Amino acid sequence: MNHVLNITTNNTPAIVERLLQVTRYRGYELAGLELASHADASSLCITLTVRSDKPIQLLTNQLHKLYDIQQLELVSADLAMLRA
Amino acid sequence: MKGAELVIQVLQQHGVDTIFGYPGGAIMPIYDALYQSNVKHYLCRHEQGGAFSAIGYARASGKVGVCMATSGPGATNIITSLADALLDSVPVVAITGQVSQAVMGSDAFQEVDVLGLSLAITKHSFMVRSVHELEATLHQAFAIAQSGRPGPVLIDIPKDVQLAEIDYRPSPFTKHSATAISTSLTNAAKARQLIAAAKKPMAYIGGGVHMAGAMAQLQQFLADNPMPSVTTLKGMGSVAKDNPHYLGMLGMHGTQAANFAVQQCDLLICLGARFDDRVTGNLQKFAPEAKVIHVDIDPAEINKVRFADAALLGDMQQILPAISSSTNCPNWLAHCAMLKQQHGWRYDHPGERIFAPLMLKQLSDRMPDNSVVCCDVGQHQMWVAQHMRFNNPRNHLSSGGLGTMGFGLPAAIGAKLARPQDTVIAVSGDGSFMMNVQELATIKRFRLPVKIVIIDNQRLGMVKQWQQLFFNERYSETDLSDNPDFVALASAFAIPGHSITRKDEVESALEAMFTWPGPYLLHVSIDEKDNVWPLVPPGAANEDMITEQKA
Repeated sequence: MNHVLNITTNNTPAIVERLLQVTRYRGYELAGLELASHADASSLCITLTVRSDKPIQLLTNQLHKLYDIQQLELVSADLAMLRA
Repeated sequence: MKGAELVIQVLQQHGVDTIFGYPGGAIMPIYDALYQSNVKHYLCRHEQGGAFSAIGYARASGKVGVCMATSGPGATNIITSLADALLDSVPVVAITGQVSQAVMGSDAFQEVDVLGLSLAITKHSFMVRSVHELEATLHQAFAIAQSGRPGPVLIDIPKDVQLAEIDYRPSPFTKHSATAISTSLTNAAKARQLIAAAKKPMAYIGGGVHMAGAMAQLQQFLADNPMPSVTTLKGMGSVAKDNPHYLGMLGMHGTQAANFAVQQCDLLICLGARFDDRVTGNLQKFAPEAKVIHVDIDPAEINKVRFADAALLGDMQQILPAISSSTNCPNWLAHCAMLKQQHGWRYDHPGERIFAPLMLKQLSDRMPDNSVVCCDVGQHQMWVAQHMRFNNPRNHLSSGGLGTMGFGLPAAIGAKLARPQDTVIAVSGDGSFMMNVQELATIKRFRLPVKIVIIDNQRLGMVKQWQQLFFNERYSETDLSDNPDFVALASAFAIPGHSITRKDEVESALEAMFTWPGPYLLHVSIDEKDNVWPLVPPGAANEDMITEQKA
């Protein structure tokens, strides 16, 4: 099942790698990634789409621990499609 | 002043007086600042050893351990140790030098992408791009290492940042108490109900209890709610020695009483532990009758592998009194006492040769109070866990999560420096000892009175045991019968030693080791046929233990 995560992070070196590393290590397949920096370049807005049969909370619990994450919001896959 | 001097000043603000490390090109400015500073640097002989010493220092003392290495190979050499610290939740700050920013990304000499390498083996890591970020980054590193579930933090500092000038006046600094822990007691009432309703409650205690400073609250909880208890490898020593309901370690090499009782319990109260696979055996068959209360500081551990009927997150010191209820389970306590009696250890081993479990029990009985025992990894490690008793988890340093051979000797160095007044004993195997044997030079240089006990079966014993049991006795690459003469090896580092082979030599050998004022190596030969029992085979439920079997 696809899950869409809207994530706001500090724009620090390696933050995108950290997100992807945790996603891969915890067993979630990457299905989409979009990112844009805020106007002042201090933050990044990231939309991460992942696929897995595992409960998504196992991933979001781990991502929440990343020091540079400011906000993490789980959007259901269906909702994301409607918005698009 | 230079960035390098700022580093030393900020470390001192955090109370750091002991650093383990090894110099090299890209970290020379920091070593120059260390020269004649008040911070004592202990030169290890391999960066992995230095970082393990920082871990031993942190685990024995509860303080943050600090280590340093240069760029490239220096940094890659600490990776294993940082992974060890991550899996065992040890607060460590590692500082690595990096090549100058002008040449970063050009495959410069001794350049490697340390930030990239650090992602999977640290709690967090930093690359410092400007001397103006340096102070704040160091403060953050100490805060992150200690906050919540502790862990290792790496700071990679390019050489030009170390050399850059900054007008630095130490700001009045209150030592970062880690970010306040938010504690949720929402499920406390539910937990109390579960405890009150349980007929067969069981406390399953991990390393998280002592790390939260909740040892006193734990004893109170177990006194107010009498119930049997078991511990993980890292939780050993958490339950007071005189608690009659303590059943020992559970899991793959746990006691039979602990494993049977956990399998039979109807409520498992998991305190600062994480249902590790070495604890649970076959997860689907683990404690099948039990409801679960899970108390932890890390939200990601809740429901990770086992559903919690009641989860409480946050500060163990507050949570334990809040879930205290009342238990009334005399039949269950009597049943567990019977299990404990029925499955007690037996030390009546035939023949003259030394029986490691008995020797370790003698060591445990003979060692001074509050001694620190640092283990390596393998059969001897499990025998230590089974046959030695500790009154505090900070007295039993064992590489739990990562299971890193080579941990024991350097960890003992760190422990001795953290607690010079206490006896420190490294218990190693002939395989593990050789993995960081170079640290004998550190012991020699600083005249550290560390006691070393090598349990030698001329094998990679634990692998051999598995080959015997599960790989048709095909002993692939586990024969170490060409080991060096360990006593002669120690003597090359001015460390006296003695070798024993018979049971009747053990007591006098231990006496000689403890009486000698300096470092000492006791080499203990055992039969290579001796194995660790009981053992839960891979994939089996914890009640399906294999017990002693002829080799």
